[in-house]
Amino acid sequence: MKVVCNGKDVELEPAATVSRLLAELGVEGPYALVERNGEPMERGSYDETALEEGDTLVVARPVAGG
Amino acid sequence: MNDPLTIAGREFRSRLITGTGKYPSFDAMRDAVVASRCELVTVAVRRIDLDDVGETITDWLPEGVMLLPNTAGCQTAEEAVRVARLARAGGLPDWIKLEIIPDPRYLLPDGEQTLRAAQELVDEGFTVLPYVFPDPVLQRKLEAVGCATVMPLAAPIGSGRGLKLRHAIEIMVEQAEVPIIVDAGIGAPSQAAECLELGANGVLVNTAIGQADDPVAMARAFALAVEAGRAAFLAGLIDESQEARPSSPITGLVTR
Repeated sequence: MKVVCNGKDVELEPAATVSRLLAELGVEGPYALVERNGEPMERGSYDETALEEGDTLVVARPVAGG
Repeated sequence: MNDPLTIAGREFRSRLITGTGKYPSFDAMRDAVVASRCELVTVAVRRIDLDDVGETITDWLPEGVMLLPNTAGCQTAEEAVRVARLARAGGLPDWIKLEIIPDPRYLLPDGEQTLRAAQELVDEGFTVLPYVFPDPVLQRKLEAVGCATVMPLAAPIGSGRGLKLRHAIEIMVEQAEVPIIVDAGIGAPSQAAECLELGANGVLVNTAIGQADDPVAMARAFALAVEAGRAAFLAGLIDESQEARPSSPITGLVTR
């Protein structure tokens, strides 16, 4: 299954969860922020939300800023 | 003295808020945050570079410091609302430093877009801290829609020019119904003290600390200045006079 994450194609096993995606990307942690197909995702849903072929994701996090 | 800064019902012992940008390292940032004694720090929200994930700032921040996500980089209300929703859904606090800046040269905020986004975010339950040009009329409108603070700039972001817009900020302080946090343009501890002396409730400082030769020592200096400025405000400054007023008796002179 292919999804687009931060503009890049990412291959995942079918029905992989958001948590699985974050683990694949190496960006787990308390503040990995995820938007799926334009909608912000609740952190509590990462473990149970299965991604679908062609999903477009934004994965963000807090960075240094003023 | 127990004199907390209260924002949206939450008390902070320090009236200094610091940004986390522009430090030479995360190490220096963490040590400066500790030295500043601040309890609220701003962070930006950005896409992760999947080719270079790097370190996460939150791993470096001291325990007990509250994160205040900002909407830096947003040029419209829609963009700012999107970032705020993403931050909250992902587990960051529902407080948002709202900054909408379409002007790359002076980094001046768009008041109309800020007001629109503030209304929407307050309606969605966010605690909104908007960054604004010091405009007392806009201040009233932001208060009316339910913003938790109003954060006027002293001078352009990162300029270090100090209280160039003092008179407008004085008006805002005089009529404020929510805390006034002077944000941006403060280059020296004395300028931060001046903000507190005139009655501002707090200051937000980033560049002046992060870019100092010794950020940790400068953070300490800002902490002291903010305390001094607040203490002076509470003590009551004297009125200015155009003429001199002698401090020694003018009668009983030895020589006359």
